[in-house]
Amino acid sequence: MTVQHKTMPQVTILTMAEDIYYNLVTSIVQDIVSRATSQNQFLNARYPNNPTLNYDPNGKLDIYGRQKQQESSIYFRCNNCDRDISANRFAAHLERCMSRGGRRG
Amino acid sequence: MTSSDDDAVELRAQIQQHLVETGNYERISNKLSQSLLDEGWIDLVKKATKEAIEDSTSINFFEILQKVEPEAVKMVSTKTKNEIMQQIKAFLCEIVDT
Ligand SMILES: [Zn+2]
Repeated sequence: MTVQHKTMPQVTILTMAEDIYYNLVTSIVQDIVSRATSQNQFLNARYPNNPTLNYDPNGKLDIYGRQKQQESSIYFRCNNCDRDISANRFAAHLERCMSRGGRRG
Repeated sequence: MTSSDDDAVELRAQIQQHLVETGNYERISNKLSQSLLDEGWIDLVKKATKEAIEDSTSINFFEILQKVEPEAVKMVSTKTKNEIMQQIKAFLCEIVDT
């Protein structure tokens, strides 16, 4: 034991314990703040016009503030048959399109 | 500075060193971090930091720290604080006479 038995009043033990506790907590806070500030400085330097993401409390709009897009109005080009297929029917289309292609080839 | 002040400073340095050397500092520090994480304190402090950054014109570490630290220290639950204080006091009582 490196600390020799010293006489220390109870109140000093409490103060010292408070001190040690305070050091522990504040060093965790300092760690969090330093990470956050350097991360923010990095983001601002790299993306100066970085917009904040949209939050809609009603749950209707996405992170860009847009309404949900109707999937049936989006079309994908099928590489197998070269036709435009509605996005919400694409998987069903592939099942037919690919097997037909396979039989032919 | 009186000699008793010198003694106190000396004693404090000795205790800190002893705390680190025995591995107790790391043990207590890890326990504290885990408790703070479990009770959601870490995320609250991150949120407060983010808000402080948004509110201020510059992202200066010391400026943000000044805003966040006092509040963060107060936000620690009584349960966690008591547990950690108990461990520190137990350690102190082991190595010093009262
Ligand atoms: Zn096709």
